[in-house]
Amino acid sequence: MDLATSMLVAASGMRAQSTRMRTIAENIANANSSAPTAGADPYRRKVATINSTFDRELNASVAEAGKPVQDMSDFRTQYDPGNPVADAKGYVKLPNVNSLVEIMDMREAQASYEANVNVLDASKTMMSRTIDLLTK
Amino acid sequence: MNLTSVPLLDVLRERMSWLSARQNVLSQNVANADTPGYSAVDLKPVDFQKVLEQSTEPAAFQGGLTVADPRHIATTSNSSSGYQSAAAGDDAIDQTGNTVSVEEEMMKVADTQAQYQAATNIYAKAISMMRTAIDSGH
Repeated sequence: MDLATSMLVAASGMRAQSTRMRTIAENIANANSSAPTAGADPYRRKVATINSTFDRELNASVAEAGKPVQDMSDFRTQYDPGNPVADAKGYVKLPNVNSLVEIMDMREAQASYEANVNVLDASKTMMSRTIDLLTK
Repeated sequence: MNLTSVPLLDVLRERMSWLSARQNVLSQNVANADTPGYSAVDLKPVDFQKVLEQSTEPAAFQGGLTVADPRHIATTSNSSSGYQSAAAGDDAIDQTGNTVSVEEEMMKVADTQAQYQAATNIYAKAISMMRTAIDSGH
């Protein structure tokens, strides 16, 4: 059934986007988490990945969230000699999370999610139109 | 006579199955709107003029089996599957090589939905006209 397949494909897109949203939430929540001990690395930013896989059962390409990869860019540093995890010069390493980038990413995930909801809605309407033919 | 051999209903059925196949392709595009390297696809439009001509000409080849003996039952073809797809005309390539333009897909989805609605409405109208014809017989 084609319309049911489109709804399942749209649902796969929604699932992938919500997994992406979870990674973004992790990044934002940990934007200021410093390392647990002096000298250790703080939280490292994760980048969500989305892959396309061919679902043989549905005979369609569905979207699937892949494993998040780590952003290997440099950590931010802040001069804070009073902090217990500060290094000898008084600098504290902070996560390489840029809140602005995360917010933009979040908006994008939200827009893509909404697009999938629209497709789901349209497919559902088409399906119910077909069923309505029975009552005519 | 069965209902599927009524030309108008046959064409509408073909149209509806093409539209739902297209909806299926569009949903794959939207779901993969953030997949690196994914290329948007769309179905090639079917020449419904030809479909109409085929279904109004009883002698035309319908794809089913020919009846060689009156005791045989004719089979009808299942022409609804296997629509041809092609790369969509969207030219929104981002830095990951993805060519899906969500705005364009949304427009296509809305268009498909509206046309599907038109097809089902015409179908219902055709059925109700047939019923009128039957009812006026007594």
